[in-house]
Amino acid sequence: MYQLSDKQIDYIFDDISARGVEMESLQQNLLDHICCIIEQNLEANGDFENFYQKTIKTFYKDALWEIEEETILLLTFKNYYTMKKIMIISGTFSAVVMSIGIFFKFMHWPGAALCILLGIVISSLVFLPLLFTLKAKEKQTIKDKLILGLATFSGILISSAVLFKIMHWPGANMMGLTFVIIMLVLYIPLYFFSGIKNPEAKVNTIVTTIIMIMGCGLFLTLVNSRPTTRNLSDSEIEYLANDEVMIKNESEKLNKIAGSDTSLTKSIARAEEIYKICEELKADILEYEIGYKSITTDLKGKNILVSNALVNNLFGSNRELYEKKISRLDKLIQEQRIYCWLEKVRLTKKEEVSRPQILFNSSVLFNDFDFIYYNNTVFGAYKNISDVQLNSIEDLKEFVELKQLLNKQPS
Amino acid sequence: MIYSSELIKGTLKTIVLKLLADNKKMYGYEITQRVKELTLDKIQITEGALYPTLHALESDGLVTTETEFIGKRVRKYYSLSPSGKNKTKEKVSELADFMDTMKFLLDIKPKTA
Repeated sequence: MYQLSDKQIDYIFDDISARGVEMESLQQNLLDHICCIIEQNLEANGDFENFYQKTIKTFYKDALWEIEEETILLLTFKNYYTMKKIMIISGTFSAVVMSIGIFFKFMHWPGAALCILLGIVISSLVFLPLLFTLKAKEKQTIKDKLILGLATFSGILISSAVLFKIMHWPGANMMGLTFVIIMLVLYIPLYFFSGIKNPEAKVNTIVTTIIMIMGCGLFLTLVNSRPTTRNLSDSEIEYLANDEVMIKNESEKLNKIAGSDTSLTKSIARAEEIYKICEELKADILEYEIGYKSITTDLKGKNILVSNALVNNLFGSNRELYEKKISRLDKLIQEQRIYCWLEKVRLTKKEEVSRPQILFNSSVLFNDFDFIYYNNTVFGAYKNISDVQLNSIEDLKEFVELKQLLNKQPS
Repeated sequence: MIYSSELIKGTLKTIVLKLLADNKKMYGYEITQRVKELTLDKIQITEGALYPTLHALESDGLVTTETEFIGKRVRKYYSLSPSGKNKTKEKVSELADFMDTMKFLLDIKPKTA
């Protein structure tokens, strides 16, 4: 039995380190193991150096650090597989849930928002970070890791932007814009210049870069982050101001000719409410868009700007109130039209008399409002409401005039 | 006859766990010697396979370690954790079942028939 000296133990320890084994606990394990073998098998007066070199060679095939490599592989192997599994499951789950959510949204079924929320949250908080962690291991250079990190961040940003947008939370456009800026200023140049150097990936890089730039352009149009503006010309101001004056005059005329007729009290009250709601809506819209509550000829030469911002932006902040007002207005106008038509038919005893379309497809008018509400520009909505207002006044006035005309004729 | 390393690789975890279950605490060299002894030199666990496995078992929480200083060097003793004890039973019965299946699959007749 051989007795190892401290010096020899140090020698073995240094040799193990020199052979590339860096994990402390593995170094200790191997040191103890070799010492045990030497102490058990070497005779008391044997050749330490020779015996050690022979023994250590039996530990490996090519190099001692293989043991450490195998250890690290075993330690990370299990994690790697669980992570990969979670990544695939979360990715599939979020994709499925999001698709269901979008389908529900189209069908106006309940639960759509929850599904979309769940899908986006899981994909941006679980799937994308895991994808990054796993892919980052494969990348060698810091530059590649940076590109990957940027891509992940952009992915999280874009999905949050979409989420904020559909939930009408503030900041969606800001996130969308940040995403586009990161893509255009940082990610695409980095991606392009690192990919173009590799002859094999050259064509792919160019194609992908072009597609990404196109995608950013399309997205920017969707985000509509900067509404374009134009000056309202003096002639247009004049025209709109005249419309306002006309609406006011016609309304006053109507009140004058119908005021004494008690059978018209109900329809006049309805006309007044329509007038009032339209005025309120218009005042809100104008104040939001141009800073004034009404359009008069005084605004000429004042450099009035109008944008192509959607009216949704205005209504979005106080949706419930506007929804209430608009559906009330819609109901009143339908009632008024039907009333006018029925009365005209009764008076003339002819069914063909200016039959309003509304009676046969009551959704037509409502769709007008839908259009005002969702897709129109702020300024377009103002014009639409003006039209609706004027039409409803003219409609009732026409009936009242007809009624008075018939009353004057000898029966 | 010495078994090939491929055969041993799949069963090494089970062997180590079972040895620790029977012996309370052991260190690396001791494990290799005990296996050699018990199998009459038929199974020789290499250092390159044993230590990675021990580290993996430790990170899985199946074994715990305690260190002891032997002069200038440190000896690491391994023993089973409570979850390791359960895992050992599971692994041993799995292997027994596997061996039965293999016997049937490869149509191996018992030697003493």
